[in-house]
Amino acid sequence: MTESLIPPETLALVGEPLSDPVTVVIDQREAQRYAHAVGDLNPIYFDEAAATAAGYRTLVAPPTFVSHAPVPPRPMEALREDGLYLTADRIKLRVDRIMFGGEEWDFVEPVHVGDTITAQARLAALDEKDGSKGPFVRTVRETTYTNQDEVVVARSRQIGIAR
Amino acid sequence: MNHPAAPNLTVNDLAVGDDLPVMPKNATRAQLFLYSAASFNPHRIHYDRDYAQFEGHQDILVHGPLQGAWLTQYLTDWCGPKGRLTGVTWQNRASALPETDLEFRGKVTAVDSATGDVELEVWEQTADGQVLMPGTAKVRLPLG
Repeated sequence: MTESLIPPETLALVGEPLSDPVTVVIDQREAQRYAHAVGDLNPIYFDEAAATAAGYRTLVAPPTFVSHAPVPPRPMEALREDGLYLTADRIKLRVDRIMFGGEEWDFVEPVHVGDTITAQARLAALDEKDGSKGPFVRTVRETTYTNQDEVVVARSRQIGIAR
Repeated sequence: MNHPAAPNLTVNDLAVGDDLPVMPKNATRAQLFLYSAASFNPHRIHYDRDYAQFEGHQDILVHGPLQGAWLTQYLTDWCGPKGRLTGVTWQNRASALPETDLEFRGKVTAVDSATGDVELEVWEQTADGQVLMPGTAKVRLPLG
């Protein structure tokens, strides 16, 4: 019998927080840089009058920017050969590569420029599966984003394929 | 790229089975670099072709989250300023390459004219029809 790709101590983390919550202010220039990098020039990201005419309090950030804003600054020494950062969280698997498998989002309330957002990630699921290229582990990292009024503005479930 | 004039779409304009207009995308290598920078993503497969080929890829790859952000753009452009994107899911099934014509397409799968809630099947495909990223979406539109 082959060894599971999931060590028992990792399996025990399902449902648990992956790190301490991260709190960040949504910065106008960073949000607009992101919009330009996507090529999404919706005026609600750039023109205050267009944003308020569309029913927002002020400029908003592109929908998925909220998942990138909390990424912490880290030193280059923490980069692995593949360019990814040495994992800071506690998911340890007996695998070489993790591919981005997709994402699921609930957008509950708008994220405005200037909002203070707290992101809390937890390990929502971990399943070992047999694929055409051999066994793999499907990881689901669920993050809840809450604003300064303690309103949940969004939830994301990021799917990782580890083999 | 010009932002298309958003229509004043209302829920009454839609029926199950309606097709959304196609949104074309074609990423330059510079765009992939800018997305890596703007999303704080140093993964080498998105900017180092030799390294990407060492990992078995044909070329550098378009980021999965960039394709997801394109999908949200596709939906918010279609909804117009008074519509709201309330949910989206996508699966990155096959790699997307830079300097390649890509298409976002969609179809209406459910319409609730009382609430304005609309459900969609959406996907990204190559010009010759290979689906790279299937997904679903929920939007809330103004009542007619």
